[in-house]
Amino acid sequence: MATAQPLYVLPGDTIDPSLIPTHKKLPLRLGPGLRHIPPSAIVPTVAGQLVADHKKNSMWVEYNGGRYIPAPNDLVIGQIQRSAADFYFMNLTPFTSNATLPQLAFEGATKKNRPQLASGALVYARVVLANRHMDPELECVSSSTGKAEGLGPLTGGMAFDVSLGLARRLLMARSREEGKVEILELLGAEGLAFETAVGRNGKVWVGSDSAKTIILVGRALRETDDGKLDVDQQKKLAKRLIREMK
Amino acid sequence: MPLDTSAYSLALLRVDGRRWNELRRMHAQIRTQAAADGSSYLEMGHTKVMCVVTGPSEPGPRRSAVGASGGTGVGGGSGEAAQAEVAVSIVIAGFSSVDRKRTARGDKRILEMQSTISNALAGSLHTHLYPHSAINISLHVLSQDGSLLAALINAATLACVDAGIPMTDYVAACTAGSTSTYAAGDEAADPLLDLNQQEEQELPGLTVATLGESDRVAVLVCESRVQVSRLEGMLAVAVDGCKQVREILDRVVRDKGRRMVQEGTIEKGVGVNDMEID
Amino acid sequence: MPREIEPSLNEKQFVLQALQEKFRLDGRQFDQYRPLELTFGDQYGVADVAFGKTKILAKASAEVTVPYADRPLDGVFAIATELSPMASPAFEVNRPTETEVLLSRLLEKTVRRSGALDTESLCLVAGQKCWSIRVDVHVLSHDGNLIDTACFAVVAALRHFRKPDTSVEGGILTVYTPAEREPVPLSWLHSPFCVTWSFYGDRGEIAVLDATWTEEQIRVASCTISLNRHGEICQISKLGGTPVEAVALLQCTSIALTKAKDFSVFLDKKLAEDTKKRNIGGFMAELRSENDR
Repeated sequence: MATAQPLYVLPGDTIDPSLIPTHKKLPLRLGPGLRHIPPSAIVPTVAGQLVADHKKNSMWVEYNGGRYIPAPNDLVIGQIQRSAADFYFMNLTPFTSNATLPQLAFEGATKKNRPQLASGALVYARVVLANRHMDPELECVSSSTGKAEGLGPLTGGMAFDVSLGLARRLLMARSREEGKVEILELLGAEGLAFETAVGRNGKVWVGSDSAKTIILVGRALRETDDGKLDVDQQKKLAKRLIREMK
Repeated sequence: MPLDTSAYSLALLRVDGRRWNELRRMHAQIRTQAAADGSSYLEMGHTKVMCVVTGPSEPGPRRSAVGASGGTGVGGGSGEAAQAEVAVSIVIAGFSSVDRKRTARGDKRILEMQSTISNALAGSLHTHLYPHSAINISLHVLSQDGSLLAALINAATLACVDAGIPMTDYVAACTAGSTSTYAAGDEAADPLLDLNQQEEQELPGLTVATLGESDRVAVLVCESRVQVSRLEGMLAVAVDGCKQVREILDRVVRDKGRRMVQEGTIEKGVGVNDMEID
Repeated sequence: MPREIEPSLNEKQFVLQALQEKFRLDGRQFDQYRPLELTFGDQYGVADVAFGKTKILAKASAEVTVPYADRPLDGVFAIATELSPMASPAFEVNRPTETEVLLSRLLEKTVRRSGALDTESLCLVAGQKCWSIRVDVHVLSHDGNLIDTACFAVVAALRHFRKPDTSVEGGILTVYTPAEREPVPLSWLHSPFCVTWSFYGDRGEIAVLDATWTEEQIRVASCTISLNRHGEICQISKLGGTPVEAVALLQCTSIALTKAKDFSVFLDKKLAEDTKKRNIGGFMAELRSENDR
C-alpha cells in the first residue's frame, strides 16, 4: 500500500530510498512519471503524488493533467481519421500524430470480412505498442483469446472529454474505494439505464436510448471533474441532477 | 460631400432619379472567357465585376506557405476534404473607384468578403459531389459604385452556373437601405432598394443574399448603425429585391442557353441539355 | 502536421439529435448564456471576461502620437487581436487564420465603426498631437463564442480605462501623472455588445446562443448581431452558411436586443462596484498628509 501520508514530488526531486519498494523475486517496475538514471537513481519527471505498490514491486507518479501519452495495455477511445490499405489511422488526442489500428485486429475479422468504419467513427481499443518516436499501435481484440472483450466500434451515444486523472480513477478496479468516484454507480442506482466506456486518453463514451440520460451522465461527469467533488458531494450532485431531470 | 436627402421627401425620387423600390439597370453575360470553366460579367448600375471559375479540379499545392494572405476562405467542411473546397479571391482594380487607392494585400475587408462569398456559395453548391477537389472563383472588380458585395455574389453565382457545377439554386444578392440616418427616429423613413455609392456612404444599409425564390437568407451583412425597428422593413425590401435579381440572372442564363442551342455551339454541353428552353 | 480533430460522428449525430429534442449538452436553454464573469485588473483598463470556459483578457492603453495626415482632428484608435497558441494549438503566431480575421473585422465594425469611442475627443493639438488608444485582446482559453466574449472584454476594458489628464497652454502640451491629476475616462458614446447565434439542422431551423466549441464545430451557419441598449444595431453579419428564414433572423435580433440590455446592466453594475472599491477612504484619504510609515 501507499504510505499513509500522500507524498508529493516535483520533477528532479530525490526520492528517499526507504520509499522504493523492494521485493525478493520481482524486478522493480517504474510507472509513468519516473525515470531511471543508471546506475541507481530514480527521478520523478512530473509533479504529482508518488505511489508505490509493494506487492507488485512497482511505483509511479499520479498526476492530473497534461496530454495523454500512450502506454501498453491502456484502454483508449480513438477516432478514425482515415483508412489506409491495412490500417486505420486513429486520433487519440488532438494535435498529436496518429495511432494505427490494423483492420484485422477486430474480433472475427478476416481479409474478406472486416469492419468498414467511416472517418470520424469512435473505436474502443487497447494500446499494444507504444514506443517513443513511433506511432502507437492499437487493437480491438485480445491476442490471447481472440475475443473482443468489450472492445470495438462504438455506435451511437456521445463521447465526453474528462481530465486524465478522472479517466484513470474511473478505470481503477475499485474506482469507488481507491478512485473516490461513485457518480456513475449513484446514477445507475437511481434507475438510469446507460452504458459507458472509459478511455485512458480522457474520453468517456456514454450510450443510452435516451438523449436526456446521456446528457445527464455527461454533466455529472463534467461537474465531478471540474469541481473535484468528493464522494459525499457526488451523492448530492446525483440527487440534484435527478431532481432537475424530473 | 454629404448626400442631400432632404429632396427625397418632396418628390420621392432618389439622387439618381429612382423610386424607393427600383433596382438600377442590371446587365449580365455568361461564358465571356473562352479559356475558363465558367465565367461571367455583371453590371449593377456602375458597379462592374467579372468572375472566372476554374474547377472542380484537383487542388493545387497547399497554400499554407502563403498563409491566409492569399485569402482563400474555406467553405463547407475542411480537413480530409469529403467536400470540394470553394476558394475565392478578389482583385480590386486600382482604377475602379474615384480615388486611386492601392489595396493592401492582407486587407481584412477583402478577406472577409472572400470568406463570405465562399461560405455563401458552399451552402448552395453540391460540394459533396467533388471530394478532394477545389473550385477556384476569382473575382475582378472593374468599377465600384455601391453594392459591391452583392454584385460579387451575383457574378460568382452566374459563373458557377456556367461552369456547370450542380447547385441547389441561385444565390442572388442585393442591398437595401433606409432614408433616415440612425439618430433620427422618424417613423416615416422609407426603405430603399439597391444603394449606390453615395447612398451607401450616407445612409444605413444592408446586403442580403437569398437562396432562390425562398425567403431564406444566406448572407446578411449590415455595417452601419440603424434602429432595430428599421431592420424588418429593410430586410423585406432586400429579400424582395433578391427575387427580382434572381429573375434577371435566370433570364441571362436561359437566353444564353437558347442562343447556344440555336447556334449549335454547345461544346461543353454540361447541364445545358437538361435546361428547359422556353 | 498534426492538427485538430473534428468532432467524431457520434458526437455530431448526438448533438444534433439532442438539439432536435430541445436539449443542450450542458443542460442550458437555447437562448441562455453560460455564466458570465467579469473582473477588472488593478490597473485601469484591464478586463478579464469569461463565458464558461472561454476566457479573454483585454487591456487598453494610451500614448501620445501624431494624428494621421488625412484626419488631423481625430485621435487614433485600434483594436489588436491575436489568437495565440495559448488558446489552442490550432492558432499560430503571425499567421492569421480565418477566425482571427473575421474576429478582428467584427470588433472593428462593432466598436470602432459604430462610433462607440468619440475619436475627436482624443485630439490634443490639431494635426500635431493626439492620443492613440489601443486595446489588446488576448484569448486565454477557447471554448467557443470568442466573438461575444472578445467584444464584451473590449467594451469593458475601454469603459474602465482612464487616460492621463492633459492641458494645453500656449501650444505647450502637459501630460499629468496620476499623482498630479486624477486620470480621466474616455469620452464614451454607447456600448455595443455582440450576440452570436448558431444555426443547426438542414434548413437552419434550430437557433442557439453562446455555442461551446463542440457546438460551434457542428453548426451549419452563424449570425452575429451587435446592438447597444438603445436598440441600435451596430452591425449584423451572417457570412454565408446554410440559408436561414428571414423571419427567424428578425426573431433572433429581438432576442439579441434583450441580451444586449442584460449585458449593459451587468457591465454598469460591475463598473459601479469597481469605482466604489477604488474609492475606499474617499477623497480625504488622498489628502491625508501623514503616511503609514
